Amino acid sequence: MNIKICHLYPDILNLYGDRGNIISMEKRLIWRGIEAEVSNISIGESFNYEDYDIFFIGGGQDFEQGVLLKDLQTGKAEQIKAAIEEEKTFLTICGGYQMLGNYYKTWDGQECEYIGALDFYTIGHKERMIGDYAFACDEADGGMIVVGFENHSGKTYLGQGLRPFGTVLSGNGNNGEDKTEGARYKNVFASYSHGALLPKNPRLCDHILKTALKRKYTDVSLEALEDTFEEDANSYMRERLLTNK
Amino acid sequence: MILNHSSILRIPRECAIITTMKIRTLIAVAACKISRFALRKIGKGGTNAPGKVILKIYPQVLKVLARNVKTIVVTGTNGKTTTARMIEQSLQESGIRYFANKSGANMLSGIAAEFAMNSTLGGRCKYEYALIECDEAAFKTVSQYVSSQYIVVTNVFRDQLDRYGEITHTINSILIGIKNSPEAIVCINADCSLSVSMIDEITNEVIFYGVEEEIYKERVQEVSDAPYCIKCKTEYEYDYITYGHLGGFRCPNCGYHRPDTSVAVEKVLECTPDISVIQLRLKNNSYTAMINLPGGYNIYNAIAAAAAGVALGIADDVIVHALSSFEGGFGRMEKFTINGIDIRMILIKNPAGCNQVLNFLSNTEVPSLFVVALNDRYADGKDISWIWDVDFEKLTTIQDKLTEIWVTGIRADDMVLRFKYAGVPIEKLKVVKDYDILIQGMISQEAPVYMMPTYTAMLDIREKFSKNFGFKDFWE
Repeated sequence: MNIKICHLYPDILNLYGDRGNIISMEKRLIWRGIEAEVSNISIGESFNYEDYDIFFIGGGQDFEQGVLLKDLQTGKAEQIKAAIEEEKTFLTICGGYQMLGNYYKTWDGQECEYIGALDFYTIGHKERMIGDYAFACDEADGGMIVVGFENHSGKTYLGQGLRPFGTVLSGNGNNGEDKTEGARYKNVFASYSHGALLPKNPRLCDHILKTALKRKYTDVSLEALEDTFEEDANSYMRERLLTNK
Repeated sequence: MILNHSSILRIPRECAIITTMKIRTLIAVAACKISRFALRKIGKGGTNAPGKVILKIYPQVLKVLARNVKTIVVTGTNGKTTTARMIEQSLQESGIRYFANKSGANMLSGIAAEFAMNSTLGGRCKYEYALIECDEAAFKTVSQYVSSQYIVVTNVFRDQLDRYGEITHTINSILIGIKNSPEAIVCINADCSLSVSMIDEITNEVIFYGVEEEIYKERVQEVSDAPYCIKCKTEYEYDYITYGHLGGFRCPNCGYHRPDTSVAVEKVLECTPDISVIQLRLKNNSYTAMINLPGGYNIYNAIAAAAAGVALGIADDVIVHALSSFEGGFGRMEKFTINGIDIRMILIKNPAGCNQVLNFLSNTEVPSLFVVALNDRYADGKDISWIWDVDFEKLTTIQDKLTEIWVTGIRADDMVLRFKYAGVPIEKLKVVKDYDILIQGMISQEAPVYMMPTYTAMLDIREKFSKNFGFKDFWE
């Protein structure tokens, strides 16, 4: 078995350690004897979505956004949309998450068109939502409690046909108002969580890997790994955030 | 209130304001001195709290205290403390009377406290010069009170994004600080495209310093914090890279490029685990200079300090000598020998700095024990995501140079996870959260220790060292 991971814009959307998610997916495949291959695709490089099983897009700075939006219009946006509809697995974080939506409106009213692969929009605010946070995934995704670090000024509101990735237990999530965090659509997992997200949420990492493996090989089971360090990191933050609340 | 009092006492209004100012300064300075004294008595550093007290009593106090002092501000993301220590050595050797905020309390309150501690009760500074290390995000505020004559910008890297937001915010803060000091001579790192971008917006006299060739034969894999032109967003081309985004940058589209330097490293002659030797150009003269701290990042600190020396008009031979004779800042490659074990402490706080420490450690000869202490308090940065951007994978290629890796601190669990996923064998990893057990463990094994703590972890561990083994307290 093998899984091909496409890391989109690794040199620009690289701000908050999100590369840890790639490391985590890669290692947890290799430790189980499954081949993993990571390809970096950035500005000016084209790709065919059919060549990959998992797509990853991380968070970045506003400064580089102009470069990015221009590049997406050279065919990448269409590839991403097709990949999503064809049920390829996506993990997108923060800026990478927002990019999949319809638009981003800055706090002073400027509107920025995004690729519209998923029906949601984001409104910028002056105050940033920053801090450790926790959310519970849907039962359909295993119901695990996920911990991470959010750092965003955009408030995201989900539209039709999307369900949230989880319910916020502590912190802000999508907008600090409706207790939703992230978005789920087909095999897309979109979240605000840095941290990096997957290393200290190993069950979530395995769930995402399984999603991709299932699409490719229909019947798969993942053997359990020795996860003491992972579980310790998860439970430390879970307890810090959720006890004495 | 003020007017009421003065009318009762029948003192002319202006005079009353001056008197009130003096009284408030007196009270504020006295309160600062008393609270610092009290805190030190009970074994605390008292570097920030007294400053908060005086700013409460009299918000304008810093303006009064800094009035007649020539101030040298050192700001930027990495290397502030070491650069300031190097400048300090030049000042000392030139016989200049100065004070410095040595304890690393570099936010508004800490700086206010230092000015107060070095003033008379009347608010007059006892020294001619103030050497102030200033947090880059705090600089815009500090500069409203303190007008500096010399500003050294070390570099701009991404750092603690939970506090500063994006890199562009950091640049803006420094820019506002410089604009608030139009008379200051500004020393800027020519190799840092982010720092150099500020010069279009300032009218100050600028001294550029830089390194003119590669420093490392082999570098860690690191992401650049500024791959795209800050002016036109085209990818930079480089003649050479020293580390991170630093080097001979040039934009093929708009022509923005590394400026010529008047202080430069023409050649890196020798790098050992203890020192570097460089060929240093100060204006038109070349010298061989020894820097008594190892590592490429300290070469940058040295030329930043040399540029400050040139700005201050310090003699070349003093500048060169100071680089070989200064004492490192606390936690900056500071050496403690306990039970015959050498423990070197190197502060870490962001990917760029941490990658440079790894570059350095790759070049050590004797197998060592690495200890990483990761905290996530405000001063450390609450977001520890950056550990995933550090090329710890490099450690798997230098396994023969490390006996084990121990992790400690509030976020030890996250740190050990990073090493596991970097490919360090699990049997080499150990989580030791209790500092007493950790220190006992370090001095009960054989290998030299390189300890890499974040800021508050460093303060905590240093406190243990001074309590249990009689080392200097950090504010001394």
